[in-house]
Amino acid sequence: MTRSQLRLLLASVVAALALVVSACGGDDSDSGSSGSSGGGNAAQQETGAGKTGGVLKQLGGTDVDYLDPGHTYFTAGYQFAYATHRPLYSFKPDDAKDPVPDLAADKPQVSEDLKSVTVKIKPGVKFGPPVNREVTSKDVKYAFERFFSVNVGGQYPTYFSSIAGAPKTPTKGVKPISGIQTPDDQTIVFNLSRPEGVLISSALVMPITAPVPEEYAKEFDAKNPSTYNTHVVATGPYMVKNDAKGTLTGYQAGKSIELVRNPNWDKSTDYKPAYLDGIQATTNDSNASVAAQQVLTGSHLSLDANPPAAQLRDAVTNRKGQFVQLPGGGFRYFPLNTTIKPLDDVNVRRAIVAAFDRDAALKARGGKFTGDIPTHFLPPGIPGFEEAGGMAGPGFDFLKNPRGDMAVAAEYMKKAGFASGKYEGNEELLLVTGNVDPIKSQAEVAKAQLEKLGFKIQFRTVPQDAMYTEWCQVPKKQVAICGGAGWFKDFTDPQSMLDPTFKGANIFKEGGNNNLAQLDDPKIDAAMTKAAQLQGAERPKAWAEIDRMITEQAPAVPFDWDKTTIIWSKDVNGVGNPYYDALDFTFTSFK
Amino acid sequence: MGTYIIRRLLYMVVVLLFVTALTFLIFYVLPSADPAALRAGRSPSPETLAAIREQLGLDKPLYEQFWLYVKGLVLHFDLGNSFVNNADVRELVLDRLPNTLFLISGAALPWFFTGALVGTISAIKRGSLLDRAAMGSALLAISAPVYFTGLVALYLFASDIGLFPLLPGAGSYQQADGFFAKIPTLILPWIILAAAFAAIYARLTRSNLLEVMSEDYVRTARAKGVKERRVIIRHGLRAAITPVVTVLGLDLGILVGGAILTETVFGIPGIGRLSFDAIERGDLATIQGTTLFLALAVVIMNLLVDILYAFLDPRVRY
Repeated sequence: MTRSQLRLLLASVVAALALVVSACGGDDSDSGSSGSSGGGNAAQQETGAGKTGGVLKQLGGTDVDYLDPGHTYFTAGYQFAYATHRPLYSFKPDDAKDPVPDLAADKPQVSEDLKSVTVKIKPGVKFGPPVNREVTSKDVKYAFERFFSVNVGGQYPTYFSSIAGAPKTPTKGVKPISGIQTPDDQTIVFNLSRPEGVLISSALVMPITAPVPEEYAKEFDAKNPSTYNTHVVATGPYMVKNDAKGTLTGYQAGKSIELVRNPNWDKSTDYKPAYLDGIQATTNDSNASVAAQQVLTGSHLSLDANPPAAQLRDAVTNRKGQFVQLPGGGFRYFPLNTTIKPLDDVNVRRAIVAAFDRDAALKARGGKFTGDIPTHFLPPGIPGFEEAGGMAGPGFDFLKNPRGDMAVAAEYMKKAGFASGKYEGNEELLLVTGNVDPIKSQAEVAKAQLEKLGFKIQFRTVPQDAMYTEWCQVPKKQVAICGGAGWFKDFTDPQSMLDPTFKGANIFKEGGNNNLAQLDDPKIDAAMTKAAQLQGAERPKAWAEIDRMITEQAPAVPFDWDKTTIIWSKDVNGVGNPYYDALDFTFTSFK
Repeated sequence: MGTYIIRRLLYMVVVLLFVTALTFLIFYVLPSADPAALRAGRSPSPETLAAIREQLGLDKPLYEQFWLYVKGLVLHFDLGNSFVNNADVRELVLDRLPNTLFLISGAALPWFFTGALVGTISAIKRGSLLDRAAMGSALLAISAPVYFTGLVALYLFASDIGLFPLLPGAGSYQQADGFFAKIPTLILPWIILAAAFAAIYARLTRSNLLEVMSEDYVRTARAKGVKERRVIIRHGLRAAITPVVTVLGLDLGILVGGAILTETVFGIPGIGRLSFDAIERGDLATIQGTTLFLALAVVIMNLLVDILYAFLDPRVRY
């Protein structure tokens, strides 16, 4: 099946996506997901021939979440996962829209009724030491089954919930999944309970698809939590240094990760050049400014994440060839709860957006080098972005001035019945945010912006993890404004950006709700349902129109289309991967 | 003395139990990050959270959770599991401990002796230019926080980014292989850490010594014709230094629990850095573990100091 055929199928089934997508609420260590271009220079990267050899040192202030491909879901983890594992499909650094076969031999075959997906895997791909045998389809099957176990704790099960027999809640121990079949060693078939073949085939880029050898891993997976994280076996060009028993001697939690070449990796089976001989990553570096300075002025070094403002400015303005900017493929926003008075009035919401100094909110996150100020919701790199007006947006007056326009705001307040042009009521609006920067700082900006329009704000900071799960995602908590919200894609599809976040049908009253503004507009819902069935060029157009409809309703204040800047030393040919927004070890080389 | 030590050990157990209960209350009862949410990752469904709560035993009554925690702690020195690092907290702490001990032991000797010496000279030369210069410098060193002086030192003297590249800089400790190779990488951190503490000790020694030197027994000693040097050392300094040793004991205990700023600025993977990372990432189990370890270190050092008292001050007998 060709890629275009896949896209046609995608249109007919992706409606179901909205019901299952839940995994990409953004925080400050977002998962491996982004667009391809449009906010940085990712598409112009030199990914051609490089010098083979050498050891790159990556300085970093934070550790990976997990090395276990079945558990990782954050950028740092993805960076190492895609260098050490071979998922069925993955993205080349210069194209984050169309994945290419990695462990898979070819594109996935989706059945006519969209209820089964068949993938052939390449022969000759071997596990690294100490397993040292050829990968079979059963290893991918086991990777899926363990993912659903509570011991492993796979973090995006909803994407795969349509697989027949997929557990609805985490299982105790690893249980077989009846819907995954392996008729032979090179074939894996996903039988689905719903016609979501295209969704599943799109999701086969995720680390869950990296093979795991059952005979080796089951001993670790039997423990609670699984200890496979410190015994991971590689299939990719690199492996975390280990001993004869498979214990990762190259991983010291919170300190360092050492990657060496995987002796069993066969270049003829992979598209990755893997120039480097190894990678030594420190994950507890000193002050971020010091580390960034060391990278920019030193040699053989790279930084794991955005540098601080001074070094970022230095890199962007003075050090051509020592950085790449990768679009984040998402938006950060302040949702305005449309069920709470007076935010239930569209003119009040438009007034808030109009008055809001979004530039100040972006500055709280690092300013123009860390993101662009949105004019609508669909971010750069997502199909439909250009159709929705690109960077200029649909042209609503309340989004025209990124620094806020009190005159426009006053007009909307008057339309809402407030003759003074400011809010005159006494109700307090609850604004909840995380207790760490930058989300705390950006929320403080939001508080000031709302107060200048006359609103009284009850400002509450909570632990970052609790902000979503115990406040913003729980409608009964009556959070009026969520101060640290963001939404980032796991797939390149406009529906995955707008459907979970703004569709009325997706409001979950009991918790886990991602429609934080609780926007419930029948016209928008109907348009989404219709657009989900569209295909080809019509699809981005339709979603662009939905984007315009949502923006017009002002359900949130969008203030940041994220971008990540990766820096490296002058003797490094750095290549960033826009899928996971980090340096791609498998394409980076030395000059 | 034996009875005293046993009594103090029992007292130590009570203190540690109290700290354990307090940290447990802070992390489990008061509003904080949900360990189940930490384990579950982003945007988990309520069902997933419930399953993980059951897995972690968080659905059990609080008293039962506390009992299990104390039992694990007492029987196995089990400090829990870090869901952020996916590692045993005890192993993390023990892995980081040698680095912290290396850092503070190298800094403690110079800060104590320099502080005592400067403080003594200042007290003897009270009001002189030397006294004013020494105490002024000490005030400056106390006022400048370690994260500031550390960064200034790095930008001035670190071999990679410094204006005068003289000494290994941030992150070099971790890169160096072996005990002797690590020594040069610690020179800057030792100087910075020692400078801050030496300043405090100098002021403390000076004020104590001035107070002691006005005591009747010092006057008596002088009246008896004892040489001034002997008066200062045998009668003055010996008494004046005792409170300084108490502070040293507490400081060492606190630093064993983590020289957070120094370790963070210089990229030394010690207990302080572990605590810093844990706080930054909301890793409650590690914060709890390092807090308990800090309490343990402080009470042990306190006990050692009390025992040392008997040798330093002849008036003290247990």
